[in-house]
Amino acid sequence: MKDKAIALHDVDLSLGRGAARVHILKGISLDVDRGEAIGLVGPSGSGKSTLLMTMAGLERPDSGKVIVDGTDLSGLDEDALARFRGRRIGIVFQSFHLVPTMTALENVALPLELAGQDDAFERAEVEMRAVGLGHRLHHYPAQLSGGEQQRVAIARAVVPNPAILVADEPTGNLDESTGQSIVDLLFALKRDRGATLVLVTHDLNLARLCDRTVRLRSGQVDGDGEGDGRADASSAVA
Amino acid sequence: MHGTPSAPQRRKAHPASGLPLLLRLALRELRGGLKGFGIFLACIALGVAAIASVSSLSRSLTEGISREGRRILGGDMAFSLIQREASGPERAFLDSRGQVSVVASLRAMAVAGEKGSGLVEMKAVDDGYPTVGALETDPQLPPGDLFAERNGAFGAAVDPALLARLDLKVGDRVTVGGANVELRARLVTEPDQIADGIGFGPRLMISQDALKATGLVQPGSLVRWTYRLILPPALSNEEGLTRIEAEANSALPEAGWRIRTRLNADPRFAKNIERFTQFLTLVGLTALLVGGVGVANAVRGFVDRKRASIATLKSLGAPGGQVVMLYLTQVMLIAALAIAIGLAVGAALPFVVTGLFGHLLPIPIQPVIALPELGIAFLYGGLTALVFAIAPLGRAHDIPVSGLFRDQIDPERRWPRRRYLVALGLSVAALVALAVVAAYDRRIALMFVAAAAGSFLLLRLVALGIMGLARRLPRPRRTAPRLALANIHRPGALTPSLVLSLGLGITLLVTLSLIDSNLTRQLTQSLPERAPSFFFLDIPNQQADAFEAFLKGQAGDARIERVPMMRGRLVTLGGRPVSEVKAPEDIAWVLEGDRGITYARAAPEGSTIVQGSWWPEDYRGKPLVSFESKIAEGLGLKLGDEITVNVLGRNITATIANLREVEWRSLGINFVMVFSPNTFAGAPHTHLATVTFPNGSDAATDARILRSSAQAFPMVTSVRVKDALEAVNDVVSQLVMAIRGASSIALIASLLVLAGALAAGHRARLYDAVVLKTLGATRARLLSAYALEYGLLGLASALFGLLAGGIASYFIITRLMNLSFSLVLSGALLVSSLAVLVTVGLGLVGTWRILSQKPAQYLRNL
Repeated sequence: MKDKAIALHDVDLSLGRGAARVHILKGISLDVDRGEAIGLVGPSGSGKSTLLMTMAGLERPDSGKVIVDGTDLSGLDEDALARFRGRRIGIVFQSFHLVPTMTALENVALPLELAGQDDAFERAEVEMRAVGLGHRLHHYPAQLSGGEQQRVAIARAVVPNPAILVADEPTGNLDESTGQSIVDLLFALKRDRGATLVLVTHDLNLARLCDRTVRLRSGQVDGDGEGDGRADASSAVA
Repeated sequence: MHGTPSAPQRRKAHPASGLPLLLRLALRELRGGLKGFGIFLACIALGVAAIASVSSLSRSLTEGISREGRRILGGDMAFSLIQREASGPERAFLDSRGQVSVVASLRAMAVAGEKGSGLVEMKAVDDGYPTVGALETDPQLPPGDLFAERNGAFGAAVDPALLARLDLKVGDRVTVGGANVELRARLVTEPDQIADGIGFGPRLMISQDALKATGLVQPGSLVRWTYRLILPPALSNEEGLTRIEAEANSALPEAGWRIRTRLNADPRFAKNIERFTQFLTLVGLTALLVGGVGVANAVRGFVDRKRASIATLKSLGAPGGQVVMLYLTQVMLIAALAIAIGLAVGAALPFVVTGLFGHLLPIPIQPVIALPELGIAFLYGGLTALVFAIAPLGRAHDIPVSGLFRDQIDPERRWPRRRYLVALGLSVAALVALAVVAAYDRRIALMFVAAAAGSFLLLRLVALGIMGLARRLPRPRRTAPRLALANIHRPGALTPSLVLSLGLGITLLVTLSLIDSNLTRQLTQSLPERAPSFFFLDIPNQQADAFEAFLKGQAGDARIERVPMMRGRLVTLGGRPVSEVKAPEDIAWVLEGDRGITYARAAPEGSTIVQGSWWPEDYRGKPLVSFESKIAEGLGLKLGDEITVNVLGRNITATIANLREVEWRSLGINFVMVFSPNTFAGAPHTHLATVTFPNGSDAATDARILRSSAQAFPMVTSVRVKDALEAVNDVVSQLVMAIRGASSIALIASLLVLAGALAAGHRARLYDAVVLKTLGATRARLLSAYALEYGLLGLASALFGLLAGGIASYFIITRLMNLSFSLVLSGALLVSSLAVLVTVGLGLVGTWRILSQKPAQYLRNL
């Protein structure tokens, strides 16, 4: 299991209390290889995002085991989990979630600053240029387009050199052409750095770009097959 | 992952990179502006400004008194004697130490013929007056012209109030005792005025020669002789002053004089300032605590608005504790701004007051930047912000990152983690400790703390009770009451913050209203039925019988009481020097300065022996004394203890034979100490008499008695009780005005909090209003539901405020002020009704704005 980027074994998770409690993940077991790109697909309510959060250590399963980059997450308390995430996992959200009071550069530097890195701004600037936003360093999120905001969010996710990148509907709030450029960027960065990518999406075309597609239905794995892996064929960083 | 991007393009150091991470991030967050922190800023700034203003002003006053000590005292040192002039050896001692000037002060009657007579505070000065400072009169005359005897009359400077009262003008003459006095100038500035304390009549300043001519200085008459000493420069330092005081006490132990130095010119005044400062500081602290509710509401709203940023930070690797510290840093930076505003206002106030009114103030004020006092105000502001911010900020620790992935429909409200509760407990303890340690009277501070804590707890319980009740009540069939009830108990309801802010505000209003009405009643309306109409002082011993007969002729059926009276200073209690006795705050006055004492064959009326027994009428043994029981208890005295008093320069020791309870409020004649008659056999003294009419007296009778007494017995000073009470009432009114001023800050804070709570509620109910309007609800229907909700909450808070304010004012009136309490509800009911109306009005004004919005634009974002 140690050589797997992510290993889930018989994971069960319910959310809510009393009558409102819902059993979301039902005995999920799943391995993700290092450097692999997997797409999580399935209808709304099937448990895709919850499974992603469980992989990122944002939800604790009621039972089962979650091992990420060789670390058993059940052995970490909240603070250790946060630090682990900061070092080893990069997250890209559908709604970008940039901190509105910080410039693009500061947003990208933030995870490095939180990790106590002295060269946070230098590295952040390099990442900003890598995502094609060297000219927007000191702009605030509100001064950027949706596509630019998502590029900043991706730069922020990759700046600590995480082993695993998780992305929740990264193109969900973008138009088609902008979404395509973001996808290209995400896969290019993943490929250049050898990171593992877990992608939640409703878009089957996007899922097909991954090495593997995992289909969820009612909290269970309903299908696990190879994708086209076409993303590795396309290369350009936008 | 590998492949760190190569060749980093280094830019210059980030502007804030030298700062610690938390401060750096907090400053970045502050770029978003202070939106949502308006009430927070105003509440903390107001409270800190109130506390800083009161303490800065107080410090400037005490500093002024301290720096102007020489002027106030009229010299480097002052030695006061009552009823007698300095003896030869005493005068020789003073003359050997420096330049001596003498001032005599006493109460007397100024008679203006047919225009009537008036009580005056007379001050007889010598040729050198004033040795320090300047006497200002209108017209300004040299002392020789002002006071000299001319055409059979001595000159005088007079307080314009006497001219107005007796319809006199400069140049007119009055008679004082046996002397004619010509009023040659109005008194404008008297440099040593405050050292004489609050007077019951206007000042009349004459020369020593004029005083002798009045004939008022008789053995035992109540004249205070003050010898002011100007020391050579070599001796006028602190060491020299202390040494001369010690020499005076050791060389002349029986002098019984009160010695003051310029370093401590008016200790009683300074102590009163300190006491009043504490009271006003507590009122300021009330403003801060009320404002604290606004702080908590603002921080709660802030955390709600920042949920996404908090979750983002956590997703990027910030532990919960670090996130809380980041936002705590931000909140405390905002608090620091508010505190700085408050401190700036407080620090500037003494300078503004001096600049605008300095020349009008009777007391010296030396505006200073009072750093220790400002430091305390800073701590009060900081700790209050911390106390009220910790709990809502602590909840940020557990805001889940999962909220970034899916909507949180009903975020759970849980207690913050233990570490934040411990931090909260420590900050509350620090705030309480500060309030108690910085207090002049710790008992009052502790009572305040208990009352504040009790109010917060009770109001929280009231809010929970209202919500519980609303939840359990059957659902009304009509929409408006159903909506109102639902709004009262639903999650995120306004009920807790509205009940807290409104409840505290109404409690404060009711408390002040009841204290105000009780004080007014005590001072103006409710003189005891058997209270005397007149006090007559300085009745010469040899004229006492004749004066009593005269009074009987004048006052007809009135009851006349007469007792011998002299003044004495307590020297030892139970063998211990008075200076070593630690007296409780409320009875320390007995040991300060001289007290009226008397002797009697039988127990005085209005007093009850509670321990021991009265001496036989013909008692001739060792001197005995009867002591007031509560004061004796406070001083640790018991039956059989010996006390020593200095009377007319002689130390007299007497044994406590009994303890008495005294009904002081009857305003009859009574004394803390009544001695056996043989104690003062042969000592010169005067008499004190009262006249009590069975059904009170009218103004015409009072005027007639005043006039005829002044004419027939010019040596006797008449004090009309109503006039004296009016003088006291004037002082109390000024104090009440100051209290009202400080309290208005607390009320403004309360209103701000209320407005803030309502505004926060408005944001939440925009959703309801838009949805309900979409479903067909009219504005009138929604408005009536909201009016009902605000009205019900206002009514519940008003009922609590009436009850809590009633209890608080009862304790303040009966326990702290030692007065009787009367529940005068009219004012309290009026203020609470107004408060409810204001609440409903404020609520509806904001709601109307919401109801007028078109739903479409909001539906897109809901």
